[in-house]
Amino acid sequence: MTVAAGLDAAPPRQPLVSLQAATMAILIVVVAAVVLYPIYYLVQASLDVGPADVRPPAAYGFGNFAKLPDYATIIWNTLAVAVAATAMALVFGFLTAWILTRTNVPFQRTLEQLMAVPYYVTPLLGALAWSFLGAPESGFLNQLWRHFGGEGYLFDITSPMGIAWVMALFEGSVAFVMIGAVMKSMDPSLEEASQVVGASRWRTMLRITLPLVAPGVLGAAIFVFAEMLSSFSAALVLGTPARFYVITTAIYQLVSQYPPRMPLAAALGVSLFAVMFLMMFLYRRITARRSYVTISGKAFRPRVMDVGWLRWVLFGVCVAYVILSGVLPIATLVFTSVQKLAVAFPRWENFTTENFRQALSLNAVRSAMTNSLMLGLVTATLGVALTGLIAWIIQRSRLPGRGVLEYIVMFPQAVPRLVFAFGMMWAWLVFPVPIYGTYWVLLIAYLTVFLPLGVRTISGVIMQLDKSLDECGQVCGATWAYRLSSITVPLLKPGLLAAWLLIFVASVRELGASILLQGPNSKVLTPTIVEAWFSTSSELTAAMALIQTVVIGLAMIVFAELTRRAGRQGA
Amino acid sequence: MNAMRGDTGTAAIAVDNLSIHYGAVPAVTAVSFAVEQGEQLTLLGPSGCGKTSTLRAVAGLERPSGGAIRIGGRTMYDGQRGINLPAEQRGLSMVFQSYAIWPHMTVFDNVAYGLRVRNESGAALKQKVHHALDLVKMGPFAERNASQLSGGQQQRVALARACAFSPAVLLFDEPLSNLDAKLRAEMRIELRELQRRLKVTSLYVTHDLEEALAMSDRIVVMRAGAIEQSGTPGDIYNYPRTAFVADFVGSANLVTGRLVPALTDAARVAIAMEGGTILRGVAHGRTPGPEPTLSLRTVHLRLAADKPSLPGNAWPVTVERAVFLGDMTQVHVRWAGRELVVRQTEAASFAPGQPAWLSIAPEHCVLLEGD
Repeated sequence: MTVAAGLDAAPPRQPLVSLQAATMAILIVVVAAVVLYPIYYLVQASLDVGPADVRPPAAYGFGNFAKLPDYATIIWNTLAVAVAATAMALVFGFLTAWILTRTNVPFQRTLEQLMAVPYYVTPLLGALAWSFLGAPESGFLNQLWRHFGGEGYLFDITSPMGIAWVMALFEGSVAFVMIGAVMKSMDPSLEEASQVVGASRWRTMLRITLPLVAPGVLGAAIFVFAEMLSSFSAALVLGTPARFYVITTAIYQLVSQYPPRMPLAAALGVSLFAVMFLMMFLYRRITARRSYVTISGKAFRPRVMDVGWLRWVLFGVCVAYVILSGVLPIATLVFTSVQKLAVAFPRWENFTTENFRQALSLNAVRSAMTNSLMLGLVTATLGVALTGLIAWIIQRSRLPGRGVLEYIVMFPQAVPRLVFAFGMMWAWLVFPVPIYGTYWVLLIAYLTVFLPLGVRTISGVIMQLDKSLDECGQVCGATWAYRLSSITVPLLKPGLLAAWLLIFVASVRELGASILLQGPNSKVLTPTIVEAWFSTSSELTAAMALIQTVVIGLAMIVFAELTRRAGRQGA
Repeated sequence: MNAMRGDTGTAAIAVDNLSIHYGAVPAVTAVSFAVEQGEQLTLLGPSGCGKTSTLRAVAGLERPSGGAIRIGGRTMYDGQRGINLPAEQRGLSMVFQSYAIWPHMTVFDNVAYGLRVRNESGAALKQKVHHALDLVKMGPFAERNASQLSGGQQQRVALARACAFSPAVLLFDEPLSNLDAKLRAEMRIELRELQRRLKVTSLYVTHDLEEALAMSDRIVVMRAGAIEQSGTPGDIYNYPRTAFVADFVGSANLVTGRLVPALTDAARVAIAMEGGTILRGVAHGRTPGPEPTLSLRTVHLRLAADKPSLPGNAWPVTVERAVFLGDMTQVHVRWAGRELVVRQTEAASFAPGQPAWLSIAPEHCVLLEGD
């Protein structure tokens, strides 16, 4: 034991702070800065009752909030549109989820994959396309209506209900995913038990199925309603030309008009943020409670109901939804973009490729496209590294304080992107380093607003990874950094690549934050499309929107091919 | 830190008053034991007894709440001095229950990992990896992708990986529990041989009694976060200290009766059952209370048609039922107003209701300590 004593005399080298703890501390500081700094300025602006051009504010008060009742119409509009859109989206989501998980509808697998189409089409493209279809005078469907002897117009897409319709179509796929998950996770023996004791199929549905899925549907309703309150693009494209405003478009209007009315916009933003925050809190409460009621951890397949000939009707319902939200909008954009002046019944000489030539030759479009793609690349790459580290620390480290990190990271989820961008704009204007109006501010904005997306995606795959794979490396003597590069990252590669693609696509299509934060020398694509919609022709806008869709599609194909090759080399 | 086996003579594990809490819930309370150089010690116990937590604390994967852990004389953890070396600086090695074979590497890369961490490369690395793979008879599989291995092969690779960098201490976390029964029995013997050959100090965790008995130099039986008994496999099996150990380590009849002082001295103990039946046993250095409990292993009880000639515990009994178990038959007999379970190999001829003679040598009736 003499040797042992000798060894013990040398005190074990133990760093004061481990690399992990230091990394987490830095991440918390950085994330808190980018998330909370803009929120601080947003709140500050909303309480500014001093002279307009003085910063920091000369006087504080609740005057701005007191003025909000003057905007009762806008608040009422917002609520009306959001309630109507939520109701419709839930109907779409519930119907499709029920059909695809609980009935013997034909081509179930294909339909389920097609349900992702609306997500790729995006509300902005949908809104543009539906305005070509449903504008009261020029809309193709209204032209058709008159062609077949109708009077006036069939429907008006720029009306509040029209806007709600478009929002609902595209949020419907979100509702589908959420409600579908609830229905899939329900133990069929609960329903079988009811039938065994003699209850009819309809009684079972009313007394057992509905109460069981109700909390999940309620959770989805709250989530969707919060998304509707914060949605921006459909109301901007369809409502603004007719001077119909919801809160988000009103904030945009107040900020971009001359002179801007920043404090008032901030007060609207803070109010919306407060409501959203409450919604997200409720949502978390409801979904957290639900999880142990219906999900029993046993493996089972949801019971499928044989609906007889009705299955073809239900098939038609799903197909109709995919057509209305995906096929029809894209077809409309194509149809519009190849005409000189878009009409429902064009003559041969009306067809042209001029719009695409013009869109591709416009310097503004080309630079915006390059900027968007570059920003997308950088955002996705940095974002995966950042959210990957954060997700690992939240899921796998045993450091105290990781709960704080998780809380801050998920914060942007509760802030409408436009409101968040407003806070950023206000914050970076006074930041000593002049980055306002540059790519840097867009990059920081994207990284911040996509934190929840990245962390959620990567956390999902980390949770599936056996803990001992990392622990074994640790026992073998490898440091954290070595383990990350030799074990964790290679094993997480598919998940990291998926997160990269999600963030890339989301960045390239981003509108709410970009439209406020882009500068004259840092234009990006989606706001450019919106500008074209307001200032040039519909046909050119349609061409630009299509080009964006195709470019994103190409980028996804190239990316998929690259990862496939990388995967083959690794094998 | 690359302590070679046998070079320093200090590779032993000392766990002193170790406590582990999960939040406010204690998982391990004041556990102390030591593993001598080259010894194989097994922590045995039912699930939730704290054996895995203890092992993980030794590995550095779990942060204890108090006590001290020394390995090879170096302090790895000391609650009072605030020392807690991370796992990667402890220089030991571990075989995981799930094997934790990295599926994105070849077998060679898996085994080479610990050596590469220690900056070994070239011919020396190659030679050590192949040596480790040969030890577990996986030499031909070096270039195989780890994801293509069967469970048993993964187990061997995990073992080779754990041994490759010649750690002073090897930890095993239920390494055989995911194998089927036959493979488990084979691996048990191979593991034991390997451990003997390498003379590496090992700490082994299992809930499987046979595994513990077959592989260990010493066994520590744990229950509810504390040590119930420690000793050689023979000690633990033949002289269980408490009713828990007697019951957990193989099947035993626990018989409680009134102490008969006249037949009891320092070495011997006797109890009287209701109805006056006397059971004689050994005290094994323990002091009986007024109502002691004796442990009678089911396999030590003898059932015969005729009265045994040897003196000792022998009583006429009635067979209640016989259950055929394959290798042996389990016979339930009525004895002193209660049921006793007898397991023996040649008992096929006992039918329910049949009278027989039950006997057991007094040295197989072991006095237990009271709870």
